[in-house]
Amino acid sequence: MSDLLGMFQGLMNGFGIAFTLNNLMFALLGAFLGTIVGILPGLGPAATISLLLPLSFKIGSPVTSIIMMAGIFYGAMYGGSTTSILVNIPGEAASVVTCIDGYQMALKGRAGPALGISAIGSFIAGTLGVIGLTFVAPPLAEFALKFGPPEYFSLTILGLLMATLLGGTSILKGLIMIVLGLLLGSVGLDPISGAIRFTWGFFMLQEGVDFVTLAMGLFGIGEILYNLEKELKTELVTKKISHLWPTLKDWGESKWAIVRGSFIGFFIGILPGGGAVISSLVSYAVEKKVSKHPEEFGKGAIQGVAGPESANNSAASASFIPLLTLGIPGNAAIAMIFAALLIQGVQPGPFLITERPDVFWGVVASMYVGNAMLLVLNLPMVGMWVQLLRVPYAILAPIIVLFCCIGVYSVRNTVFDIWVMGIFGVIGYLFRKFGFEPGPMILAFVLGPLLERSLRQALLISAGSPWIFFNRPISGSLMGVLLLFILFQIFITLRKKWSKRS
Amino acid sequence: MTGEKKIEKWNRISGFILLIIGVMTAWGSTSLSMGKFKHPGPGFLPFGLGICLIILSLILIFKSWKKEISPTPLWFQRTWLRPLLGVAILIFYAIVIEQLGFILTTFIFLLIWMALIERLKWKTILSISVGTTIVLYLIFAFFLEVPLPKGFLKLG
Repeated sequence: MSDLLGMFQGLMNGFGIAFTLNNLMFALLGAFLGTIVGILPGLGPAATISLLLPLSFKIGSPVTSIIMMAGIFYGAMYGGSTTSILVNIPGEAASVVTCIDGYQMALKGRAGPALGISAIGSFIAGTLGVIGLTFVAPPLAEFALKFGPPEYFSLTILGLLMATLLGGTSILKGLIMIVLGLLLGSVGLDPISGAIRFTWGFFMLQEGVDFVTLAMGLFGIGEILYNLEKELKTELVTKKISHLWPTLKDWGESKWAIVRGSFIGFFIGILPGGGAVISSLVSYAVEKKVSKHPEEFGKGAIQGVAGPESANNSAASASFIPLLTLGIPGNAAIAMIFAALLIQGVQPGPFLITERPDVFWGVVASMYVGNAMLLVLNLPMVGMWVQLLRVPYAILAPIIVLFCCIGVYSVRNTVFDIWVMGIFGVIGYLFRKFGFEPGPMILAFVLGPLLERSLRQALLISAGSPWIFFNRPISGSLMGVLLLFILFQIFITLRKKWSKRS
Repeated sequence: MTGEKKIEKWNRISGFILLIIGVMTAWGSTSLSMGKFKHPGPGFLPFGLGICLIILSLILIFKSWKKEISPTPLWFQRTWLRPLLGVAILIFYAIVIEQLGFILTTFIFLLIWMALIERLKWKTILSISVGTTIVLYLIFAFFLEVPLPKGFLKLG
C-alpha cells in the first residue's frame, strides 16, 4: 500500500511541476508543434525532435525540454489523422490505416464525425495510456534494479531484434541497419580501455559520432531529400467541416473500438521495438475481425478510424515506459528523447524515478495536461489546422533544411558539423531509396554503448562463458522470449512459402 | 500510395557496398586488441559486428540474384535532379556561411532553393525569403541567443 501512496504523492508533486507557468507553456508549445508535424506529411515526430535537440539546452531544465519533446511525440499522433481523413495521405506513419476508412468517410460527407471521433478516441486512449504509465512504471523500475550486465545485454538484444521483427518491411535489412548502427556507435574512444577505434585519422571523431548531427542528417535532411522527389500535393476533399461531435449512433459504434484500441496500443507500445505504427495496424485488423459487418471496412466504417487512432495514442504514452524505467528506447522518436535526456545530463534508467523524481513525475503529469490541451487544439480548432495543409512543401522544405543547418552549427560553432550532417543526409536519402529504414539504426546507435559495456562486463563476470545469459532467471527468460519470437517468425515465413506452393 | 516497389534487384548494389564495409571493419578491428572471451578487448564487438555484416550482406546479395527481370527504376526520368540540387545548395551554404554571414547566406539559400528547385513566382520567392530570414534571425539570435556567423559585412 505504501507504494501506491508513494505513487500518488509523486504524481501530485509532478502536477506541481507541470502546472508551473513555464512548463505549461512548453507543454502547449509541444502539443502545438506536435499537431503541426502530425498534420504535415513528410515531416515526422522523430525528425522534428531531432531538429530541436541542439536547442534543448537553451530551452531550460531537463523537465521542461522533455515535457515539450514528449508533447511533440504524442501530439503528432493527434494531428496525423487529420491529413489521412481529409487528403488521403498519412500525415504521420502511425495514421496510415486511418486513410482507408477515414478518407471514405470524408468522401461521403462525414469528415466531421471522422475527425471528431479520432480526437476523442485519441484523448481517451492517450489518457488511459498515461494512467497505465503512472502505475506500471514505478514497480517496473524497482524490478529493474535487480538487473545486472547479463540482463541488460539480453534486454538490449531483445529490444533491437524486436524492432526489426515488428518494424520494417524486411527483417534482413533491419538487421543490417542494426549492425551498422552498432558499428557507428563504436567509433571513437573505447569506453572501457580507452583505445581509439575507427577514427580514420580524424581527430574530430575521437569523441565518437555526435548523435545530434547523425539524427538531424538521417532524419531531417534525409527525409527532405527523399520527399523532394515526390510531388506532395495536398488537396482537401472538403473545405466544410461540420458535425464534429459524433452522434449517439457513431459513439455507440466506436466506443468499444476505442477501448480495444487503447489496450492494444498500450501493450504493443510497452514492447521494445513496438510502437504507434504497428499498434494502429493491429487495431485495424482486430476491428475488422470482431465487426459484425466486416464488409463495411474500406467503405467508411467509423470503427476503422476510432480503433487505430486510439491505439497509436496509447502506444505513444506506453512507449515512455521502457525509456523511463529501463533506459531502453523502443522507437526512433523515443530514441531522440533518450538522447535529449543524456544531453541534459539525466541518465534514463531504473534509478530515474528515485534520483530524478522531478523529471519522471513532472513529465508524466504533463502528459495528462498535454492530452487535455490536444483535445482542445484538435476538436474545436481543427479548422485552423486544415489551413496549414495549404502551406506547400516547397516553402517548408528549405526552412527545415535551414533549421537543421543552424541547429547543428549552434552546438559547437563549427561548419564541420554542417558537412557531417550533410553527408549523413545523403546517406539517409540513399538508405530510403534502397529500402532501408533508418529507424532501427538510430536505436542501435543509441543502445550500442550499453550493449557493448554489458556484454563485456558479463563475460568478465562469467569468465568467458556465454551461458551467463541463459542460466540467470531474468536474463534467461528474456532470451527465452527472444527465442520464441524467432521461432514464431520462422514459422510464419515457412507457412507463407507452403501456402504459395499449394 | 504508389503501389508495391520492386527494388529487390538493387539490393545487389547495396549488398556489395555493405560487404565491403563489413570486410573493412572486421579487418580493421584485428589491429585493435581483440582480447579473449574471458577478457574481451576493444576489438571484440567490432570484429563480431563486421562478421555479422559480411554474413548478412552475402545473404542480401544471394537473395537478390534471381529476383525481378524488370525492377522499378530507382529514379524515374529526372527525379534525381531535385535532391541533387538540394544537396548542392546545402554544400553552398556550408562553404559561404562564415564569409558572407548568417543573414546574407540564409537569404540567398532560400532564394536559390525556391527558384531552382521549386520554380515559384519571383514575388512569392522574394517575400518568403525576406520574411523567413528575419524570423529565423529573431528566433536564433534573440530568443535562443545562438552566436551566428557575422561575415565580412559584420551584420548581426
